[in-house]
Amino acid sequence: MTKLKNKKRNLEENEDEQLPIFDKDGGEDAHLDDGDEDQGDLSDSEESVFSGLEESGSESDDEEEEDEEDGSEEKSSDIEEDKTADGDGDDQLSAKEVIKPQTDGQNSKEKKKKKKAAGKEGGEESVASVRDSGLQISSQVDEYEHDTSDEEDIRNTVGNIPMEWYKDYPHIGYDLEGKKIFKPIRNKDELDEFLDKMENPDYWRTVQDKMTGADIRLSDEQVDLVHRLQQGKFGDVNFNEYEPAIDFFSNEVMIHPVTNRPQDKRSFIPSLIEKEKVGKLVHAIKMGWIKPRRPKETTPQYYDLWAKEDPNSILGRHKMHVPAPKMKLPGHEESYNPPPEYLLSEEERLAWEQQDPEYRKLSFLPQKFACLRAVPAYSRFIHERFERCLDLYLCPRQRKMRVNVNPEDLIPKLPKPKDLQPFPTTQSLVYRGHSSLVRSISVSPSGQWLVSGSDDCTVRFWEVSTARCLKTVEVGGAVKGVAWNPNPSICLVAVSYDDTVVLLNPGLGDRLVCTATDQLISSYEEPEEVMDQSVQWAVAEGEGHEQGHRLILKHPKTVRQVTWHGKGDYLACVMPDNGSSLQVVIHQVSKRRTQNPFRKNKGLVQCVSFHPIRPYFFVATQRYVRVYNLIKQELTKKLMANCKWISSMAIHPGGDNVICGSYDCRLAWFDLDLSTKPYKVLRHHKKALRSVAYHRHYPLFASGSDDGSVIVCHGMVYNDLLQNPLIVPVKVLKGHTITHDLGVLDVTFHPTQPWVFSSGADGTVRLFT
Amino acid sequence: MSQVQARFFTENKKYLIDDVPFSIPAASEVADLSGVINKLLEAKNDGHKHVEFDFLVRGQFLRTSLASHMEKENISTEEVVEIEYVEKFTAPQPEECIMHDDWISSVEADSEWILTGSYDKTARIWSMEGKAVMTVAGHTDVVKDVAWVKRSENLQTGSLVVNDASLLLTASLDQTIMLWEWNSERNKVEARHCCRGHAGSVDTVAVDPTRTKVCVLPTVEEDEIEEPNRPRKKQKTEQMGLTRTPLMTFSGHNEAVSSVLWMDAEELCSASWDHTIRLWDAETGEQKSTLTGSKVFNSISYSPLCRRLASGSTDRHVRLWDPRSKDGSLVLLSLTSHNGWVTAVRWSPSHEHQLVSGSLDNVVKLWDTRSCKAPLYDLAAHEDKILCVDWTENGLILSGGADNKLYTYRYSTCVSDAGA
Repeated sequence: MTKLKNKKRNLEENEDEQLPIFDKDGGEDAHLDDGDEDQGDLSDSEESVFSGLEESGSESDDEEEEDEEDGSEEKSSDIEEDKTADGDGDDQLSAKEVIKPQTDGQNSKEKKKKKKAAGKEGGEESVASVRDSGLQISSQVDEYEHDTSDEEDIRNTVGNIPMEWYKDYPHIGYDLEGKKIFKPIRNKDELDEFLDKMENPDYWRTVQDKMTGADIRLSDEQVDLVHRLQQGKFGDVNFNEYEPAIDFFSNEVMIHPVTNRPQDKRSFIPSLIEKEKVGKLVHAIKMGWIKPRRPKETTPQYYDLWAKEDPNSILGRHKMHVPAPKMKLPGHEESYNPPPEYLLSEEERLAWEQQDPEYRKLSFLPQKFACLRAVPAYSRFIHERFERCLDLYLCPRQRKMRVNVNPEDLIPKLPKPKDLQPFPTTQSLVYRGHSSLVRSISVSPSGQWLVSGSDDCTVRFWEVSTARCLKTVEVGGAVKGVAWNPNPSICLVAVSYDDTVVLLNPGLGDRLVCTATDQLISSYEEPEEVMDQSVQWAVAEGEGHEQGHRLILKHPKTVRQVTWHGKGDYLACVMPDNGSSLQVVIHQVSKRRTQNPFRKNKGLVQCVSFHPIRPYFFVATQRYVRVYNLIKQELTKKLMANCKWISSMAIHPGGDNVICGSYDCRLAWFDLDLSTKPYKVLRHHKKALRSVAYHRHYPLFASGSDDGSVIVCHGMVYNDLLQNPLIVPVKVLKGHTITHDLGVLDVTFHPTQPWVFSSGADGTVRLFT
Repeated sequence: MSQVQARFFTENKKYLIDDVPFSIPAASEVADLSGVINKLLEAKNDGHKHVEFDFLVRGQFLRTSLASHMEKENISTEEVVEIEYVEKFTAPQPEECIMHDDWISSVEADSEWILTGSYDKTARIWSMEGKAVMTVAGHTDVVKDVAWVKRSENLQTGSLVVNDASLLLTASLDQTIMLWEWNSERNKVEARHCCRGHAGSVDTVAVDPTRTKVCVLPTVEEDEIEEPNRPRKKQKTEQMGLTRTPLMTFSGHNEAVSSVLWMDAEELCSASWDHTIRLWDAETGEQKSTLTGSKVFNSISYSPLCRRLASGSTDRHVRLWDPRSKDGSLVLLSLTSHNGWVTAVRWSPSHEHQLVSGSLDNVVKLWDTRSCKAPLYDLAAHEDKILCVDWTENGLILSGGADNKLYTYRYSTCVSDAGA
């Protein structure tokens, strides 16, 4: 601000044409300035401790320091001016004048503040330019004498000197490269000046640059700025000097209060403690105990790129060795006396000459010489050497990292299917007779008979070894499930259709067993108190009895699956229903009793199964398989199948492993001892799995799917608890034709032989052996 | 190697040629060699008629060119090759096609009559010309096997002497075996005995060479308390009375017994689904030895001429066994050409090298053991599964199956070859 004022004043003075006085003042001023500076220096020397410390600090601090010094220069000159000129300076200045002799440090600080304020007001650049122009204007009065500007014209390197020293020279300084800067040719005399003044409309805004001596025409903005300053306004147009005052120091108590309490005196004087500390440091530096600045290390630092590698190892050195591209060995053409067939004929030679050099097969013409002595210098030698150099230089250096993976290593080590025999490999027999899809099959415990239930409302009994249909029993609906009683001393087959389960006596096998079964059923005596059961038991009579129907169980809902307990007395039926808790019922045939084991509906039941040995009961819902202990009547385990919809389930004869087939093409093997999550998931089928089965003796399991195939896997379960089951897919059996997008609907193994039966939507049952 | 030194010989005196080595092209096949022999014979005697010959090199029939055969059999081409030639077996000529009402489960024929068991619960007797002579009905279930017991002209039954009476056996799914007496003159059949004792269906019967004992096999094991899941074999002597009980039970098989036969009067042999063939002493009922296979046996046959057992199993092979080997499980030869289970095998009663096999692939194959890679002839007349085959002493091959047809073929074995 003071600077600006200074310039403003200069302009005024310029107008007033009080040049000589001012000039003199300026000279004194400069002189006084020097003195002032000395004084400042003295005071600084007092505080040399600080300056030293600050120097060791950041550079920005240094700059500030310089600014401070400059500021003090200007300030002092201003003060002098104020003294000499009319005392129109504000109170603050005069106050400073009073303060000034006391402490220079304080003065400089204040100036710094002011300068910062000025910077804030206008922005450094505009201020600088204005200052520049102001100075120039003053220099018109006295060109080189009054120069307080610290703004150096970088084009002129003479520095801050009175330019009059160059008055007698043709140049006014030196540029950065040390060449002389010549004064612009001034051939204007007074008259020219006057004429210029009269004619040139821009004369009034033309000033001379003192450093270069060139005329500069002020731009509109600069002129405007000068006007504003003349009028005592702020240089920045956008600055609003009448902004509403905010009373910081009010009686309101704020969270972070500000006060207008004047600063303590101690904040202006250096603290004694610090002074002591600094003194000690200075002493230490003087004594050479500490060095204020560590000398910079001039030696450049390198690091060893190859430090980590062992230089002795050959591989380490030559790891990235790229062999040079090999040159083609010379052939017969290159010979000085080539065989005649290599020599080009006239036409070939012409063709060669006409060919583009790039497309020539040979880069030279084979020539025949009588002797080696007669061979002239090879004209293309330099050229070819150059090309060779290019080849070497441009040869690709990137190494291709090849990972040598033996494809056989990627294949998991599985035993060969040959070693896992016996398992079914070919289709041997086809049991034809059903006219609609065969939903369910079951084999008699002896392995001699097969029963199949179909949508054509019949149940057929087959002789396994010849595929002969021995018996056809008609029932009242599409058969959903058949199950042969696993007890060899009972000859009963459970057949489910609609909401009915019929126990059939097929009359096959030992006559004694058949008659014994019939007697067992007829010997039932009605208990004293009749229990209220959800399932109606009835004894078949009449024609049904002739056909083999023995007991008819009417259920409240459609029965989807029937399965026997291993002992052959209990029969579980599944009636899938999302809303009711009556989804699974367990019948006891000998007592004709029915019980509903579950009170709660835990989801749509897909299938159920009895544990082959222990009193466990497996219930598969859409996503989970729950294992219940029938004696303790509690949930033992809950297996998470990780599939969307379980379709079927089979229990390993050992009882510790379960396989689940699902409609999303997966087969999950659970090891009950291992985890509740699948031990292995097989995704061999292309379409939904419909049925899974374990073999009773052989380590085999099979799955039937909608894609028409049966996949047989070797599934060895070891008695050793530490060894996980070995699962190897061994055979895909095809034979069923896909009808209505359905392939294989049920698979079951022969009880003694490694044979698998499958029933399909094409109305056939097939035996694979 | 374009020429091979060969010496031809034969045991048939009719076609003898000079015992000198000939140099013949190595690429020559059966027809070429046959032409050579015929030329030689013509040169020898003018009245020679053209005869097709078959050639054996070291006991193996020549089926490809001589060179490739010798290479395969590792026969040195440096030495003189001994080639035996026999008259070519003519193809069996189909004779009759006898229609049945239902599947034919079993067939047994002798020189005069054919006896078949059928799934329509009857057994039938046919003449050689295919004329239905008699229907034996009496079983309540499917007849699984039939056997002639005695074809005697004069049979002493009780007090009266009956002429032209024959005895026959039928085994059925209804767990019984019936012994019938058939008077061919009066064409009357009469049930003599009903044999009970099996706990399952009776699948096979066999009559011993002296025609006095019957061996019967069930397929389903009887459930006994001491020995659960053991099948029983029963043997009977002819005794008076309506119902007979077994003389002896052979226990040892773990699964259904599929086939049984008498090897001689003291020894009998049974094949089972438990992958074993067992030999039993008929007198003591003890097991003598076991031959273990890897697959289910469907049928066995024994040839007293070569003393070999032939077995048909579910893995498409016909295997030959030596029943005298003590360690068992020694397969001498397997004949592989079928595509399905081999359900029936039968040795030729007159030729030690020939047997016939029937399979679920609808084909009956005639084999010569000297040519184990390919059968001599395929008899592909059936349209469905073949369940039984038989070969009579007078050269008739019979096969019956699930297409309700019984085919007969006349197979004229070369008279000259019969003694070989």
